[in-house]
Amino acid sequence: MKNKTTKPERRFHNWRLIVLFGAFLVILINPFLNFYFHINFVQGWYQSLGIGKLWFVSPLEGLESILVSKLVYMPLLIGMVIPVLIAIFLGRVFCAWACPISFLSELSDSAIKFLKGRKRRKDFFTLSKRLLWFALMGELLLTMILGAPIFVFLSPPGLVGREIMMAVFFKTLAVEGVIVLLVLLLNLVTRRFYCRYLCPLGALLAFIGSKRRLSLVINTAECKECGLCDMACPLGLKPSIGEGRSPYCWNCGECVDSCQQDAIKFQWKEITDH
Amino acid sequence: MERRHFLKLLLSTIFVLPTTKADAGFLSSPVATNRLRPPGAVSEETFLGKCIRCGRCVEVCPYRSIVQLDMKNGVHAGTPLILAETVPCYLCMKCVEVCPTGTLKKISQEETRMGIAVVNRFTCITWRGEAICRTCYNVCPFKEKAIRLDELRPVVDEKYCTGCGLCVHGCPITWKEGLKAINVEPIHLMKGSTQGI
Repeated sequence: MKNKTTKPERRFHNWRLIVLFGAFLVILINPFLNFYFHINFVQGWYQSLGIGKLWFVSPLEGLESILVSKLVYMPLLIGMVIPVLIAIFLGRVFCAWACPISFLSELSDSAIKFLKGRKRRKDFFTLSKRLLWFALMGELLLTMILGAPIFVFLSPPGLVGREIMMAVFFKTLAVEGVIVLLVLLLNLVTRRFYCRYLCPLGALLAFIGSKRRLSLVINTAECKECGLCDMACPLGLKPSIGEGRSPYCWNCGECVDSCQQDAIKFQWKEITDH
Repeated sequence: MERRHFLKLLLSTIFVLPTTKADAGFLSSPVATNRLRPPGAVSEETFLGKCIRCGRCVEVCPYRSIVQLDMKNGVHAGTPLILAETVPCYLCMKCVEVCPTGTLKKISQEETRMGIAVVNRFTCITWRGEAICRTCYNVCPFKEKAIRLDELRPVVDEKYCTGCGLCVHGCPITWKEGLKAINVEPIHLMKGSTQGI
């Protein structure tokens, strides 16, 4: 669909698909290794992932656990350090480059594109970006009022991992897996509808990364205001007016790929003020 | 084809699985007789909030003793549970090593208190004098401590019983759905209860 080939076609897009696929492969293969071969070197999925003695804990799940139980457990905090550091420096990169929901969305997008021809789908329904923050606040408040963490058992990224594990271990699927389907179906209404407006984890990572080092910066001198980047952004942001530096941006690089002038670039900044 | 397969799986979970626990409400705990938390679990009230449902204990369990609950258990969806009469806990203590939240505390086999085994003297064939069965005694990992034979009849010592459920699993007598002649009662439910023998 993009005809000019002055630069490598969709470089970041392809890299991102490879990384997403790799990240998905981890949670896809791991249950098989555990179940059939008793190789316990890696356990879990993107709620908590244990690689040998290195533990990752998803920041939102960890935060919920601390808020609800009102107890602090050091291994939990330490497990959250690396994800939080990544978010501080790189922003919401987990969402774009590792999240299984992102992978499945890309997959379903490609499938639809393949079946329905090459036309880009429109966003039928857009809301305020700020809804994301309310999703996070609402989720945390509800969690604390109920005294029961919500995201830990309803998080779509976690559910993908859990369903794979359930299928391998117990040859069954959990009912709540329909949430994953819902999230994917919402993509038909608006690209990454859930990621844009509703994902509390994405919101938390965005919040942590609001002063991130890595961001997308547009060189206004080279920009011809064609608007391709605005159309390419899966989150419906407008890189053309500098929204690549807003906390919402997840550094996927689709706008870099789309720009025919090479006006948008990833930039490592000492301090970003937006 | 793939979708059909998926839907079939989905439907099977909706219609077949509810047998695991009939009275599971939105907020009520799934823990009950022979429905146990893995070793080292914190108290049930804390468990709900502390566990992040990462499923690492389920994945690491080599005996597949631990199952992960789903939405039919309300807010307890995703938490681990051991169905003692199906697959008991063999106390390998792998799960407590991997829990990232401290919901399963790092404890030893001897310290484990998942519950206390209780012999039902009205259904146990040895206690009824109908036969001399000592399966629970034979399979107990803390034989002569947790389960002793008193005039050939099994007696549980709660000072040593870990509540692993091996005796429940071994017991040949099923007198009621899921209930054997020896059953493990989760400790926190035992508090203030008078059913201990």
